[in-house]
Amino acid sequence: MKTLITIAWRNIWRHPARSGVLIAAVVVGLWAGVVTVGTVNGLMQQRIDYLIDSEIAHAQIHHPEFLAEGYSWLNIPDHEEILNWLDEDARVTAWSARTMTDGMLQSPVKTSGVRIRGIDTDRETRTTDFHENMVEGEYLDSGIRNAVIVGKSLAQDHNLRIGNRIVLVFEDTGNELSSASFNIVGFFESASTEFDERNVFVRSEDFTRYLADELVVHEIAFRVAELEMVPAVVADVNATFSGIEAQTWREISPELNVLVELGGVMLYVITLIIMLALAFGILNTMLMALFERMREIGMLLSIGMSKLRVFSMILLESVILTLSGALTGFLLAWGSILYLTGSGINLERFAAGIAELGWDHIIFPIISPPEYVGILILVIVITLLASVYPALKAIRINPLEAAKDS
Amino acid sequence: MALVRTEKLSKVYNPDTVPVHALRDVSITIEPGEFTSIVGPSGSGKTTLLNMIGGLDKPSSGKVFINGTDLTGMKDSKLIDFRLQNIGFVFQHYNLIPVFTARENVSFIMLLQKRDKKEMLRRADELLESVGLGDRKDARPKEMSGGQQQRVAVARALASEPKFILADEPTANLDSTAAMNLLDIMLRMNKEQNVTFVFSTHDQRVIDRARRVITMVDGAVDSDERRDGTNESGDSTGKGNSTGTGTSTGTGTGNGNGNAQKS
Ligand SMILES: Nc1ncnc2c1ncn2[C@@H]1O[C@H](COP(=O)(O)OP(=O)(O)O)[C@@H](O)[C@H]1O
Ligand SMILES: [Mg+2]
Repeated sequence: MKTLITIAWRNIWRHPARSGVLIAAVVVGLWAGVVTVGTVNGLMQQRIDYLIDSEIAHAQIHHPEFLAEGYSWLNIPDHEEILNWLDEDARVTAWSARTMTDGMLQSPVKTSGVRIRGIDTDRETRTTDFHENMVEGEYLDSGIRNAVIVGKSLAQDHNLRIGNRIVLVFEDTGNELSSASFNIVGFFESASTEFDERNVFVRSEDFTRYLADELVVHEIAFRVAELEMVPAVVADVNATFSGIEAQTWREISPELNVLVELGGVMLYVITLIIMLALAFGILNTMLMALFERMREIGMLLSIGMSKLRVFSMILLESVILTLSGALTGFLLAWGSILYLTGSGINLERFAAGIAELGWDHIIFPIISPPEYVGILILVIVITLLASVYPALKAIRINPLEAAKDS
Repeated sequence: MALVRTEKLSKVYNPDTVPVHALRDVSITIEPGEFTSIVGPSGSGKTTLLNMIGGLDKPSSGKVFINGTDLTGMKDSKLIDFRLQNIGFVFQHYNLIPVFTARENVSFIMLLQKRDKKEMLRRADELLESVGLGDRKDARPKEMSGGQQQRVAVARALASEPKFILADEPTANLDSTAAMNLLDIMLRMNKEQNVTFVFSTHDQRVIDRARRVITMVDGAVDSDERRDGTNESGDSTGKGNSTGTGTSTGTGTGNGNGNAQKS
């Protein structure tokens, strides 16, 4: 075995340039692949955290048709009972009841369709970090009557300034068109320009006056202690109450669901693509090496080297060649990610575009230990597969090759 | 028991398309200690015959026995091991392992035989010295002349302590000095250690020094001539009585059976 490794190792360095290039390709390929995967992972995780923390919370309860229709009369029946239940359930750490409907924002400039979100600022602050998105003016807790905060980009669209009045038009719970004027107290900028252009926030107590005779609730967002508890709590809510639908964050946000599902696969898809490309490089190099060494291998088989040994020799050669590169690339990637996990990758230069898409501009790449193991296994399996073929070819070489004239 | 015995050995290449009869009913016997050259014009079947005897290729019909063991029905993997334990090979193109030094090339085959490591290195050094390469033990093939490489090849072939050594045109790539030098070494091994050599050649000076010359023509044995000591004999095998055939160039005093001689 030791001798086989020696031959394999020396054979690799018979063509230093050729092997060097292949190893370099494997190093760079794997390094780039793993860092890319880590970055994509990080992006997704940030997006997930962001959406959960600033908007969705862990789960939401609605009238079953509200999300699709947005009518104010599709409110949650007996919301008090549900809120009491949430208060009493130990797993639930915070909730926020929101009064909302779809309507229009009218400014002197134009009219835009928006979702009007009435919130209880105390409750909301305990449930989400949305208040951290304020970029100008004040949040809704300033005490100004009929205060409204709008997205920065919507404000620019309408040429709005703090202190301006706008009119919100909507249908009340009695199906009557209603309108009220609100005072702009601040602008927010969430990670999604689209969200900013389609949502305005008011206090639910102000909003309720125009919307219904008593407080109506259209959305209850709540958080639980551990992310893993979400499905169970949601199931319990659905089992306990009728006429409502509780959904997990993944059900609420198709985007998040896709991200989570993608995130799991992406890692392997990227690694697989890179490794497949590299596998062809390995195959090519090894077949070339074999072709040059027909006579030598013929000789080895002639003098009595067993097929198993010849097979192992060639297998070792490509495995050592690839794995040395792969492990180096892997370690480099690991180091890079470790480093970047601290400092993050600053995409500020591209941040404008990235913000449009709803992403943060500093990305912290993430790869979990099981993912590292998964990548490593994938690398080893593909290396072996790519190495077996040349090795099989080697043992099919006719010993008589040894005597052939070049 | 004969060391090598072929029995009506025939080989037809491309039997279905353009059949080439490379060997026709070749029956020869080689005894331990012989120094036999196979000669004949190009295409006469020398290489084919050596490949059959070496268990590198299968005959179309006939049999090959090495020390009584029939190679013809042997499975590939068994045959490889049989070659490792019984036959030494020297090739026209030396065929050393290029990434190994002379010493490593010689020990490698003993390693395949799973010999004791210390003994292996000692023997490798000893063999290299006996072929006159005591000072080139750590040289790689690239750093050696053709003659030197072929001497390493002979040392390698000897290292496994084979029953006999097969060499197909071992001197064909060497200049005449190197060729004679190699032959000297082979002859010395033959005389001093009773190593059996079977080699093909078309170099007249090499032929002149062989102790038995089997001449092939068109895949058949044309003559089989022994020149050992006084007992030089020439006859064509398979023809029974040499005196009746008139093909022999020998003295005609030898026995009719070309295999009777012992070394
Ligand atoms: N692999 C092969 N396929 C077809 N014909 C072959 C093959 N090997 C040898 N021959 C033919 O068999 C005959 C004997 O060849 P060979 O044994 O190489 O002769 P020699 O070694 O005496 O020159 C030649 O006619 C040669 O062309
Ligand atoms: Mg030949």
